[in-house]
Amino acid sequence: MKELTLNETPVRTAKNYNINDIKIKEIKIPEKIEKFKNVIIKKETDKDTINENSSKLKLSYGIGKELIEQINKNSNNNEKITINSKTNKKIIIQYKLNKENINLIENIEIIAKENTKSNIIIKYESEEDLKYYHNGAIRIKSEENSEVNVTLINYLNKNTYNFLSIENEIENNSKINYNIIDFGGKSSITNFYTNIKGNNAQNNINTIYIGNENQLIDLNYIVELRGEKAKTNIEVQGALKDNAVKHFKGTIDFKKGSKKSKGNENEFCMLLSEKAKLIALPMLLCSEEDVEGNHSSSSRKSRCKPDFLYNE
Amino acid sequence: MKKTEIEEINRNIYNIKNKDEYDYKIKKGLTPEIIEEISNQKHDPKWMREFRKKALQVYNKLELPKWGPDLSELDMNEIATYVRPKSKLNNSWEDVPEDIKNTFDKLGIPEAEKTSLSGVGAQYDSEVVYHSMREELIKQGVIYTDMETAIKEYEDIVKKHFMKCVPVNDHKFVALHGAVWSGGSFVYVPKGVKVDIPLQSYFRLNSPESGQFEHTLIIVEEGASLHFIEGCSAPKYNKINLHAGCVELYVKDNAYLRYSTIENWSKNMLNLNTKKAIVGKNAQVDWISGSFGSKISMLYPMSILNGEGAKTEFTGISFAGKGQNLDNGFKVVHNAPNTSSVVNAKSISKNGGICTYRSSVKINENAENSKSSVSCESLMLDNISKSDTIPVNEIKTDKVEFSHEAKIGKISDKTIFYLMSRGISEEDAKAMIVRGFAYPISKELPVEYAVEMNNLINLELEGAIG
Repeated sequence: MKELTLNETPVRTAKNYNINDIKIKEIKIPEKIEKFKNVIIKKETDKDTINENSSKLKLSYGIGKELIEQINKNSNNNEKITINSKTNKKIIIQYKLNKENINLIENIEIIAKENTKSNIIIKYESEEDLKYYHNGAIRIKSEENSEVNVTLINYLNKNTYNFLSIENEIENNSKINYNIIDFGGKSSITNFYTNIKGNNAQNNINTIYIGNENQLIDLNYIVELRGEKAKTNIEVQGALKDNAVKHFKGTIDFKKGSKKSKGNENEFCMLLSEKAKLIALPMLLCSEEDVEGNHSSSSRKSRCKPDFLYNE
Repeated sequence: MKKTEIEEINRNIYNIKNKDEYDYKIKKGLTPEIIEEISNQKHDPKWMREFRKKALQVYNKLELPKWGPDLSELDMNEIATYVRPKSKLNNSWEDVPEDIKNTFDKLGIPEAEKTSLSGVGAQYDSEVVYHSMREELIKQGVIYTDMETAIKEYEDIVKKHFMKCVPVNDHKFVALHGAVWSGGSFVYVPKGVKVDIPLQSYFRLNSPESGQFEHTLIIVEEGASLHFIEGCSAPKYNKINLHAGCVELYVKDNAYLRYSTIENWSKNMLNLNTKKAIVGKNAQVDWISGSFGSKISMLYPMSILNGEGAKTEFTGISFAGKGQNLDNGFKVVHNAPNTSSVVNAKSISKNGGICTYRSSVKINENAENSKSSVSCESLMLDNISKSDTIPVNEIKTDKVEFSHEAKIGKISDKTIFYLMSRGISEEDAKAMIVRGFAYPISKELPVEYAVEMNNLINLELEGAIG
């Protein structure tokens, strides 16, 4: 059993706010990992290629050193996807955890070649009500004039540790759009980092989460803007019920050189129980004069009966 | 338009540097012997002697914060924590030594006392040299005196409240304050008494390589009200000076307190000040804060809304120029039902200055039907400066209305163009926009202080834009 310190924020604040990082206590990190066999991959065009040669992780942030090392040493599913199609064809990767596949440690690397357009759906599900373990990494590089649309769906059960590191690199005139549906996991910890290095490049993130029972959701989103006229829009919305706890750490960082860039971040949480708790840290960091940055964070109780919004 | 470059702003009146003359200056450093000697010099009662010793122990145990500006240049072995000026406490300006009186004259304190204040306290280095209050307030039972007198004459009240609102283990510099504090003001407003004209304490640090550790303790009893103004400044030296004051405000049920600060420490000052208010049922504390000086500032006034229906508002501006790192903000804890907080924070960065707005809003389980609204805006005047917003919002109840919004950006080109089309120069247009940006804060101050704030903004803007 170990204690893991995960999801450290790029800038620290006072430790008594309990938001600089998240500690997961008494977690058993699986050591003997067998190949994950219950993965279904579908693609609409043969122009896009998928193989198992994803490279080792060298992340700028990442969820935590120990979990990144585990992926590099013990990943049991590797997917390297190269997008060559220009017509927004779908690629679907579906992981189903079950009693024969209780640990999933995947390393997904996606390279969107110049002038391509793609639509990638990655879904995590669990079949029985067992204790599963998921530690994954998704890296996407979008080369010039490319567009990558990603949908991530987390439907894991409430007994599962769910750890996910996402890292994106976006070049000139390209964009990566994310839709993230984060419903599962006993502890669902996501680290999301984007380097918008190109001019006129974009990163848009729409996340919805629902926390209930004793779920812990910890989201650490960091978007760094380096290119000129870059844009990012982060929308995070969700609801908490029962004893669920949610931490949202969202950072928009305007680096020197990101002239004429815009960054917006909006976080809204609806509280459906007296015992649900949330901590939000929406940060704006700015080293460039000619930018526009906005963030807003709000929460309130539901004005409807909970059953109307939340059907179990 | 050609940009005017001015390396060092003429801080005129604030930079008056008197000869480093004193009645007694303790040796530099921070040891039990030095703390004992401060107690001896101040004739502390036994409980205060013990308090200082314990605070030093806490100081030695606590670490420097691992967040915020780098404080590694602070070496307590190079700081003298107690400097007694060549003046006793006076209640007439005529009795204050000439050089000290001249300093306060130039800062406009005696004049303000005549025209717009009902009482004044003036501290020079580690001791208060002047304290006075209008006769009618004395008759109403209002107490406004220096902390040393308060410990002697109102020992029970002081003992009951001293460092209870800001406990000594809050952080390292509160512990330091507890060990070496000296000077400051004690205000007691009896039940139902309304002090309509503000009281002001002004803190001036003249001695180089020294610290100022004044303690302000204000108790506003049930149904009473007060506006208290705090001002501070120091001349610039080449070596580090330290300010680690402590402000404790007790605002009892149905009482009202407005606490206004214009901080203009010199740019060799580390300003590590702590301010906190405990607010009772249906009571309100409003903070007005203008932060212009200091090399490094870490200042986060805090309201603890303990009584049902308690309210707080924070209206503040920070202006960081060359070599300055101002890490300021506000903290509020909603600890009772139907409480409310409103925060309106602004910051301006120029010439490589760093402004950080760091805040915390905590709404506890028992704070049902509470409301909190936070707004912060940052203005960048060039591309060598930096501006960060780091707010933490913690909500533990569903029956709450909470919103936070922040904006960061530069002066709008369209607005400048519009003003220039009306015959205003680019430099004047930008200055006008900055003053407008600061207007929500200056309008909350008495007119004399709003003028002072606008003058400070003009001083800071000189050479920065155009």
